[in-house]
Amino acid sequence: MSQPLLSVRDLRTSFFTSRGEVQAVRGVSFELRPGEILGIVGESGSGKSITCMSLLGLLKSNGKVIAGSALFEGEDLLQLDDRDLRRLRGDEIGMIFQDPMTSLNPTLTVGEQVIETILRHRRISRAAARQRATELFELVRIPSAAKRLRSYPHEFSGGMRQRVMIAMALSCDPKLLIADEPTTALDVTIQRQILALLRELQSRLGMAVILITHDLGVIAETADRVLVMYGGMVMEEAPVRRMFARPSHPYTRGLLASIPDLRDGTHQRLTPIPGSPPDMRRPPAGCPFAPRCRNAMAQCVKALPPIYEVDAGHGSRCWLHHAEAPRVEGINELVPA
Amino acid sequence: MSDIHVAPEMWKPAARIAGAAEQIAAPSLTYWQDVRQRLWRNRPAMLGLGFIIVLVIAAIFGPMVSRHNYYDQDLKLSNIPPVFQVYEVTDESGATTRFFFNSGNLNLYEVTDDGRIAGLIRGKKDLLKKQTVFAFGDVEVTLNAATQTLTRGGGVVLAAGGWQWNMSNLFGTDQLGRDVLARQLYGARISLTVALVATLVNFFIGVFYGGIAGYLGGRVDTLMMRVVEVISTIPLTLYVILIMVVFNSGFFSVIIAIGSVYWVDMARIVRGQILTLKQQDYVAAARTMGASTGRILTRHLLPNSIGPILVALTMLIPSAIFIESFMSFIGLGVTPPEASWGTLTSEAVETLRAYPYQMFFPAAAISLTMFAFNFLGDGLRDALDPRLRT
Amino acid sequence: MTAYVLQRLALMLVTLFAIITLTFFLMHAVPGGPFVSDKMMAPEIQAAINAKYHLDDPIWVQYLNYLRGIATFDLGPSFKYAGMSVNEIIAQGLPTTLKVGVLALICVVSLGVPLGIVAALNRNRWPDTLVMVIATIGVAVPSYVIATVALYFFALRLGWVPTFGLDDWRGYFLPVFALSGFWISFIARLARSSLLETLQMDYMTTAKAKGLKPGQILFKHGLRNSLIPVVTVLGPVVANLITGSFVIEQIFALPGIGRHFVLSITNRDYTAIMGITIFYAAVLMVMIFIVDMLYLVLDPRIKYREAR
Ligand SMILES: Nc1ncnc2c1ncn2[C@@H]1O[C@H](COP(=O)(O)OP(=O)(O)OP(=O)(O)O)[C@@H](O)[C@H]1O
Ligand code: SF4
Ligand SMILES: [Mg+2]
Repeated sequence: MSQPLLSVRDLRTSFFTSRGEVQAVRGVSFELRPGEILGIVGESGSGKSITCMSLLGLLKSNGKVIAGSALFEGEDLLQLDDRDLRRLRGDEIGMIFQDPMTSLNPTLTVGEQVIETILRHRRISRAAARQRATELFELVRIPSAAKRLRSYPHEFSGGMRQRVMIAMALSCDPKLLIADEPTTALDVTIQRQILALLRELQSRLGMAVILITHDLGVIAETADRVLVMYGGMVMEEAPVRRMFARPSHPYTRGLLASIPDLRDGTHQRLTPIPGSPPDMRRPPAGCPFAPRCRNAMAQCVKALPPIYEVDAGHGSRCWLHHAEAPRVEGINELVPA
Repeated sequence: MSDIHVAPEMWKPAARIAGAAEQIAAPSLTYWQDVRQRLWRNRPAMLGLGFIIVLVIAAIFGPMVSRHNYYDQDLKLSNIPPVFQVYEVTDESGATTRFFFNSGNLNLYEVTDDGRIAGLIRGKKDLLKKQTVFAFGDVEVTLNAATQTLTRGGGVVLAAGGWQWNMSNLFGTDQLGRDVLARQLYGARISLTVALVATLVNFFIGVFYGGIAGYLGGRVDTLMMRVVEVISTIPLTLYVILIMVVFNSGFFSVIIAIGSVYWVDMARIVRGQILTLKQQDYVAAARTMGASTGRILTRHLLPNSIGPILVALTMLIPSAIFIESFMSFIGLGVTPPEASWGTLTSEAVETLRAYPYQMFFPAAAISLTMFAFNFLGDGLRDALDPRLRT
Repeated sequence: MTAYVLQRLALMLVTLFAIITLTFFLMHAVPGGPFVSDKMMAPEIQAAINAKYHLDDPIWVQYLNYLRGIATFDLGPSFKYAGMSVNEIIAQGLPTTLKVGVLALICVVSLGVPLGIVAALNRNRWPDTLVMVIATIGVAVPSYVIATVALYFFALRLGWVPTFGLDDWRGYFLPVFALSGFWISFIARLARSSLLETLQMDYMTTAKAKGLKPGQILFKHGLRNSLIPVVTVLGPVVANLITGSFVIEQIFALPGIGRHFVLSITNRDYTAIMGITIFYAAVLMVMIFIVDMLYLVLDPRIKYREAR
């Protein structure tokens, strides 16, 4: 097994608001190997975006990383000073955001927005940077690339804008690409094109990818490994096949239950499990999913379950994996064939 | 790993749950409760609201309880300050006279023990020596106009006593001897009435116009909005002035002038709100259920637009007050002896050199009112749009 | 883009036309106004106006005559000063008004915008609080109050500046200050909230995620976008600097157009009132047109949005 590219340990991030501390991320750990695609799923507000923003120091001013470490090629991102972090951003680590309509500056040409990124990190001439930008536009298949550099974002469709974002994120050959719901704001057909492009670019350029999404179909098609988040924590982690074949956490099972059939290729958004996610200003002491869990036990309300390794590389944060816990079909007991 | 000790009874199903989810979630406030709470916590806005309430009460009831009215003139008692230093002179028969010296017009006024103005004291003017001699029984007091000093008999400088608040006219009197407090209260009445009525007129025109444009949509909407665009580029103050010229100064002209001109923003807001709300399902639902246009407007659309409209209204009131005072200031507002904050200020400007303090009350009144409405408006906007806060 | 320019130009002309028409018919509605024969009037003025507008003709002919006059930049004879034309009245006051107005505009932009930026960048810290307190005072206290209080303290009490006139360069301080005070505050508040809003935008996060330096992010991505709303209000700001100057010129006894305007109102010099109103409106339309063009340069989206 190769050295991890990124190793996050016990990340905790809070926002300090007029109504108290919002504990958005409460102890997230995961590893990412070079060239691997890690999918992160979870309901809205589960802390997916904040986890990634914390790594790059992109939190809004009222947000703060409270604890944890994030080793990227041996450097702890959370300890770097601003200047060193800025060097990494856009160079070693690229990022794509959810809404290509608002993530590009409306008053600068798309070319300028790509070129400034290149010029920031590479000591090359403006002409060379422009040349590079044209190549990038060709790489992400924007037609008549050289001409389109001079266009403004509003002259592009949503899908084309997201291609611009991807070109921008890849402009300095990052080792890690963080894509935060890159397709959520797009039409279904465009979504598929963008995902296909991402997969293709990943296999060609070989960078590692963190792919955040709501869409389990996207995960199934794209990711190598999956992280399921809930209430600011990782609930389950497994290789993608294993996750879909043997989900071992009641929350994951709830998510999967809402998908009719993955194999017929219909992409399906998460349909909500009854109840609402916990208030992160006063997170529950026990399992955050307990109020909505069909299997909740007295122990779940009392104490936070640890992550049990149910198989190699497959962890699940649930008391049901305790040796003395009652048997529940499918989770800690095999489903009869 | 799974060696953590757990007592057997802990594996029983958790006490359920129906209420648990709600218990854990924050007490969810309705939007309006939330707005009210945020507004309540905004101290400047609440101070503003408090001030406005006090002002309105004073404007309504003040003139009723005041001993003075706003138009009675008494030229003998003009330009009396609200506070003054009292001098005392005792003559040989032991009678003491209390008086104060008004340096603005070089007059002496007799003051009673409880601080009321008893009247003007007449003296003999000596124009050559530029001094005036006042006789109190057998004591003579000489006022030197150049040095503004009072001397007694043999040249002893008269020392001033303590400060005394003017109990006859708490805010003093103006250049025509009218009670400033009574005029202030009356002016508040006029200014607030003008502002309120003009704002309401604007409100109705704006809601009506914007409502129709937004509701009908299509080409009518485009045309109506073009008209709005033209109107909003016209410098409206000029139009208020022209209308005042046509109708002649006066209370109702001011209301007509201000009321007919500033509805454009309101129309825009209402139209915008209605356009977004029109997309929403419940309006379509109401329509399929046969609700009339008027009913849809009043029951569904307006309640939802109330927030931004409220903000626009609170911001319109101070502008109306300001424009009224501005008009009065350049001589186009209410006609004398009627008073508004603008006329009071411009009257005070006339006497600025001799009696600068007369500027204080009208300037303070209008400034504080503007503060109050601005704070309230800002607070309302913040409360309605929590995005803008942290 | 040409479509946008033409559209703006058309709007400007339509508005100006609406203003002229409205002004004409409002003045016509005045009893004893300029377009009624009146025996009380000084005969030579009556003759001049009659010669100009043919008062015996039907109203619409007079209206056309008036329009024709304006088309040749001729605002007609004064209604009160025999032998004086409205053009001459305006020409007399223009230099003064222009000097004070331009200085005030410069103050508004060069003080208001930086103050707003400083406040936004120091949100909820003391520079922000300080700017906001000053700006709130500036927005709430009417200009004529500021003007008289300043006049009293700085001119009468301290004697630092003259009480009236612009003969001494120090005479400019108070009028410019009183005229621009409100708008400096207004622009500071606007620039602050606009920049704060821009800082929240997704593309600012993108800029940060690209590793750009804070200065680059602020100046290249933040300021330009946040200045767009500021530029949009510059047209109305000019309008209000103009109309605000009535009072300021009155208080400081400056011989500008505003003072002539107020004088013609008190004198009921109807043709002068009309002429000056239309002159103001024309100046304003030109300013708004300039601002629209500026907007075009700042915001590339305009070209497409407006040119439907
Ligand atoms: N600036 C902020 N101030 C306060 N709380 C915040 C802030 N930003 C995020 N949060 C809170 O942090 C929590 C996690 O947010 P996050 O954006 O990571 O969710 P997410 O999983 O990405 O959801 P989504 O799928 O909607 O993007 C949420 O409960 C949110 O309310
Ligand atoms: S720990 Fe308990 S409440 Fe949490 S998921 Fe497992 S069974 Fe459900
Ligand atoms: Mg997110």
